[in-house]
This record gives sequence, structure tokens and C-alpha cells, in this order.
Amino acid sequence: MKDSLWKSVLGEIELTVSRASFITWFKNTELLTNKDGLLVVGVPTVFVKNQLERKFNDLIIDTLKKNGVEPTKVDYKIHTKGKSTLHKRSSEETVMVVAPQQTDTKPKSSSSVRHSYRQGLNEKYTFDNFIVGSGNELAYAACQAIASAPGTRYNPLFLYGGVGIGKTHLIQAVGNAILSNDPKAHVVYISSEQFVQEFLDAIRYKKNTDFAGFYRSADVLIVDDMQFIAGKEKTQEEFFHTFNALHQANKQIIISSDKPPKDIPTLEERLRSRFNWGMSIDMQIPDFETRCAIVQTKSTTHGITLEPSVVEYLATHVQTNIRELEGALNQLLAFCEMRGLQPELQIATSLLGSSKVRPKHINAKQIVEKTAKHYHVSMEDIMGPKRDKDIVVPRQIAMYILRSELHLSFPKIARELGRKDHTTAIHSVEKIAKESTLDADLRTAISEIKDRLYA
Amino acid sequence: MKLQVTQENLNKALSSVARIANTRGTLPILANVVLRTVGTRLTIAATNLDIAITHYIGSKVSEEGSITVPARLMQDFVGSLPSGVIELKLDDYKLHITTDQYNSVINGVSAEEFPVMPAITEGKNWTIPVKVFKKGLQQVLVAASNDEARPVLTGLYIHTSGGKLYIASTDSYRLAEKEIMPLEEDINILVPASSMQELLRVIGDQDTDIEIIHDDQQVLFKVGEVELMTRLIDGNYPDYKKLIPSTFAVTATLKRADFVNITKVSSLFAKESAGSVTIHADPEAKSVSIRSVASQLGENTAQADADITAEGSITLNSRYLLDALGTLNSDMVMLCFNGKLEPCVLKEAKSTDYIHVIMPLKS
Repeated sequence: MKDSLWKSVLGEIELTVSRASFITWFKNTELLTNKDGLLVVGVPTVFVKNQLERKFNDLIIDTLKKNGVEPTKVDYKIHTKGKSTLHKRSSEETVMVVAPQQTDTKPKSSSSVRHSYRQGLNEKYTFDNFIVGSGNELAYAACQAIASAPGTRYNPLFLYGGVGIGKTHLIQAVGNAILSNDPKAHVVYISSEQFVQEFLDAIRYKKNTDFAGFYRSADVLIVDDMQFIAGKEKTQEEFFHTFNALHQANKQIIISSDKPPKDIPTLEERLRSRFNWGMSIDMQIPDFETRCAIVQTKSTTHGITLEPSVVEYLATHVQTNIRELEGALNQLLAFCEMRGLQPELQIATSLLGSSKVRPKHINAKQIVEKTAKHYHVSMEDIMGPKRDKDIVVPRQIAMYILRSELHLSFPKIARELGRKDHTTAIHSVEKIAKESTLDADLRTAISEIKDRLYA
Repeated sequence: MKLQVTQENLNKALSSVARIANTRGTLPILANVVLRTVGTRLTIAATNLDIAITHYIGSKVSEEGSITVPARLMQDFVGSLPSGVIELKLDDYKLHITTDQYNSVINGVSAEEFPVMPAITEGKNWTIPVKVFKKGLQQVLVAASNDEARPVLTGLYIHTSGGKLYIASTDSYRLAEKEIMPLEEDINILVPASSMQELLRVIGDQDTDIEIIHDDQQVLFKVGEVELMTRLIDGNYPDYKKLIPSTFAVTATLKRADFVNITKVSSLFAKESAGSVTIHADPEAKSVSIRSVASQLGENTAQADADITAEGSITLNSRYLLDALGTLNSDMVMLCFNGKLEPCVLKEAKSTDYIHVIMPLKS
């Protein structure tokens, strides 16, 4: 009765005062007693007491009246929530404990509880089936180091990168590897969204200590998609304490997010600085070879060996997202299996369509400029008549990119670079297309230019 | 509001107050400092709702009033002014700051918007010399916990027992206790360690007394022109005294500098094992040796000359050991312990007023 009254009072006050004021002054208040119109409100600090007495007393009384209570007087009393439990804890616990040496930490809980620590980890994600390429080798190495000695290095590890480039795979692989080394380890894997949900449930069912205890007893805490915690203040606070407790005990913390900590809006500063504490690694979009390797590995697990041309087609068709790449592969394999066909390039192209989607925000001029800039040659030179090798190559690359990205006609490409003859363009595009399959440096240069274009 | 102050005074006040004004909190006004005239003096105050600091400065007040202005801007601006007299004048929430060379206006917010600073109406009141209190704080702060999961341990326990004033702190792995001075009053308060860090910063090296006033919820420290108010932590401090052993099987007395050196060297090899180093006291060789092993890197044994009563060894966290040695002020220090799993004590060889207890690691 008291609780619901105060809740509805707070709900109304929340609408009338600013959010900052509400959080600062009204959160953590509660109605202690309501007797013959004399109400006692429990507040956490003396600042809040002063503020409520002098600034918000009228508002509180008015709101109480609206809720059908005629208060004669409202008193404010400093009151710590959960005070009684606190006392009990401190007397029950021994004050000083022998610190377990970090290397022989062994969880003590019985096996009946333990299975829950495994929740969320999918056994199919392992290091063995993770394909390492230039964009993720640092992350991979860091994760392997952590798996062999959790908590000692790179703590916390913060992985960030776009959608579908293997963050979840990698962090789950760490969890699985740690569990296979030490089956008794408490590995907790959750998404931050799940963390928020459990926290809310814990508040609702007043199981806060269970909640905190569960996460704080973990040996390894893996939190996926950290960005979803942004803007949820209480949860951030709870996570902050969990983080501190674990970090202090040298327990490994691994976090993934789609943005670096500094770019997550409304993430509390103290969390942000803690995330930057250990190691933050940017996971990049996998390069062409890595994508090829992924397609090959995945098709082998399905028992099918694909033609190199099909593999390359798939790897060029989907460039930014491994999940989509897998999707495209599965689509192709399913199609062929149902019809009893061999997966061939022709089927792949007809099924997945041509990859010729013209990006809207990129124009020909930008491409020429970015290419020239990449090779440190001037626009005049690249457009002009000079035929030195260090100008011809960028010019040809520019033509190649114009063709591959914008799908311009050859005469148009020639015109964009100040040439009259479209055969030059045909020759250049063919030459670069051929050489780029052989020359890794050239391929890197092209992908770097493209990265800048799409950045 | 209209008044004149010297740049030196204003700058000093702002630098002790402005630091706690918080730009990142939820309530924007807490990033401001309050300027308010009180009689012939100007007060400058800020708070983060845990601590409030008020600094009084002498000034020539010709018109009373109050205003809040952004702390950072005000501090940076006043800090870069030349020394001399500054005139502050308030005109409709605009603070005009004028010197011979500069003339600026800072847009302020009404002081009415600022949280009401708490005051202690009645409570216990006692004093202690700044130097004594400061030394005590420096020795015990290191052992306080910063884990909010057990709020009681994030505080310093300031209390009297048997007519003496003590400060104690523990994070459950180590414990520090300092006997400050004889005191008749009956004191028993738990002050947040973070507030005491702030107090240390604010009091500087003054050669005066600190006046301490407290009730059940808060405590006020008055030093010269500065007042620091902080909340008290609610809860019962654990009965730590029973943890301090009084008799020891092994006592080693050695030079502090030697002990620090060998511990530092050993800690280099102890990173993998969370700082664990094993100390061995050998009465035959009259030496203390520290050994640490890193399975990947190698291992280390370092020793120092010492007077030893009996043979024994114990495994400690090297970081705690270094922290503890850093709080001891004498040339010769004593390391005393019993069994491998019982608390170990570090103290100064010739004085008994400070004691630092470290729990061993399981080895």
C-alpha cells in the first residue's frame, strides 16, 4: 500500500521535474510510514533531505493530495536501504580472509549449480573454426593469450567492430577454450541486453544479492553487444560494481561492442575509462582472401568442395558481413542440393544476382581524387598526358575502381580521366583486374582506396 | 553583489574548491561553484553531493549577494589573471570580473538553484593538530577498500578506545591502524576514504589545528579558511582488533630500504601469479630472502641482512607488501608472522603506534 502510493507519487513527479533532478533527488527515496496524515519519507543523504525539504516539499504534498492522501506534515529522514542486511553481512563474514592465490583459484560450488555457468556459450564456436585474416589477427592473438591464462593479461579485453565480422565467435571461443582447459571454471557469457533484463528481474523480485553474487563469482565474464547498456543508468552502475569486483580479483572480463567505448553515447564516464583500461581491439572487415577461406571452410563442413571461381564470386559478392556471406553460401548450397545440381558459377550468379549495385554517395571525381591521393600524385598529373610509370599505375587503378565500383561504360571512364580513346580504359581495367589476382600489394592498395571511399 | 578581492586569495580558494565540482554528473548545476557574501567575507563552495567544500576569503564587500558560475571556467580565468585586486560585480545573473587589464562577463545561474549546503546544528566537537592527523591519514588510506559492494570497508574508522584516538582501515586483505593521540571524547565515526583523500589535498601543510564536528550523518572538518563536509558511512565497522596478533613465532628486523628493494625486484617475477612472493626468514644466515617464480619468464631470489628470531616462511602479495612498506617511516622495520595462513604484521622497529597487517596468500 505504502509502496504503491509512493510509486505513483514518484511517477507523477518524474513528469514535472527535469530528468536530472529526478535522478538526483527522488531516486532511492521511499515512504517509511504513513500514519494519520504524518508521512515519513526515507532519503539516502542529507543533501537530498535538504533539497526535498526546501525545494520540493510543496510539490510532494500536492502530488500526495492528488493521490488521495491529505498529509498534515511530511518528514524526511535519512535512511539507508537494506541497512539491516548490511549489518548482518558484516557480522557474519569474517573480516579478513586469506586471499586465494590467483593461480589455484578453483570454484567450490557443487556441480548442480555449475551447469548454469555454461549458459549462453555455444560449443560450435571454437578457435579451430575461426578463420584468421589481417583484419582480426590481433584480436585472435589476444583471445588466445587470454584463453591460456585468463585474468593475467589484456584485462579487460574490449573488442569492437561492425556487424557480422566474428566478434561473437571469437569471444565465445575464448569461453569454450577456458572451459575445456578447466571444466570447473565459471565462465559467464551474456549479452548486455540480457544483463539489463536480469537486473530488472532482480529488482522486481528483490533478488539483488543473488544477481550480484552470481556475476561476481564468475572467473570469466563475457559480455556481448555492450552498446545496449548505454543509457541504462542503474544497470551501468551495477555493471560498474561487478566490473570492479571482478577486475580487482584478477578475473578475466571480455566485452564486445559495435563501437569503441568513446563512441557509445550515454555510457558513463567511469565505465568508459575502465573499458579502455586493458586492451581495445578494432576488428576489421575481413579481406578478400579471408573471405575466400571462410567460404571454403564452411562449404567443407557441408561436405562440398566449391570451384575456386564460385568461392571468389561469393567472396566478392558479399564484402562486409560474414553472416551474410554464410547466408549466401547456404542459399546456394540449399538450392543446388534440392535440384541435384553442382554448385557452379552460373548458378551462383543467377541465384544471388549480380553484385552490381551502384553506391549512391560516391562519384567518379572522388574515386580519381582518392586514388591520386593514395599514390601521392596530383590531379593534374593523373588527368594529364604524362606516361611515367608512377602516374600510369594510379591512373589505371582509378579506371579499374571506376569500373568495379560505379560500373561506368569504358568511354565514360576514359572521359573521366581526360582520355579520348576508350580502348585505353578497356586495357587498363583488364590489366588491373588480372594483376590484382596475382599481386597482393596491388590488392591491398585497391582495398585501402575503397575503404577510404566508403569511410 | 559587488566586492573586491585579491587574485591570490580568489585563486587559492577556487583551486581547493573547484576540483570537486563535477561536470559529468547528472545535475548540471553541480559543475558550478557558488559565490556568496557572508558579512565582510566571500565564500566559495562546491559539492558533488558526497563532499561539500567551502572556502572563506577576506574581501571588501560593498553590496551583498550570491551567484553560481561554471567552476572550470572561473578557475582557469582567475588563474590566468595577474596578481592584484579583482572587482566582482553582479548584474542580473551576469558576473562582471574587472581588473586593470581585463574586463569579462561570465553568465551565471541563480544560487537558488544550487543544492542547499548541509549544516551541522549540534554534534560532537574536538580538535587535532593538522600535522598529526595528516600523517595518520597518509598511513592508513592505502588499506581502505574501493569496492562499493561492502560500503563499510570504503571508510576510515576514526574512533576512541581506552582514552586514545585511532584511525583504522581494511579492505579485508590487509589492515592498517594508527594510534593518533590521547583523547577524552568518545568518538566512533566511519568517514569515506575518498573524502579523506580530498581533505589531504585541501589542508596542505598548515601548522594549525583541525576542528572536527560531527553528528550521526555527517562530519565537518574546519582548517583555517576551509571547511570540508562529508557524509558518514552508515554501518558497524568490523571488530578488527581481534585480528591483530599479539605474539609471533617469527620476527625479522631489517632495513626498510633493503626490504623495499628486494620486494620490488621480486615483484617483477610475480606478475603472472598475481604478485605472489614467498618470504623466507633464515636465522642461521641472518637474512630474509624473497623468492618469486614466473613459469614463462624465470625466477628470482633476493636477500637482505636481518635479525631473525626463528625460521619460517610466508607467501604475500608483493603489491600489498610494497604499499605497507611505503607507509612505514623508520629506517628499521619489523616483519612478524606465525603460520603460513595467519596474518602477518609489519611495523616500525622502535614505535608501536602504527601497525599494518597483511593476510598471506595460499601457497
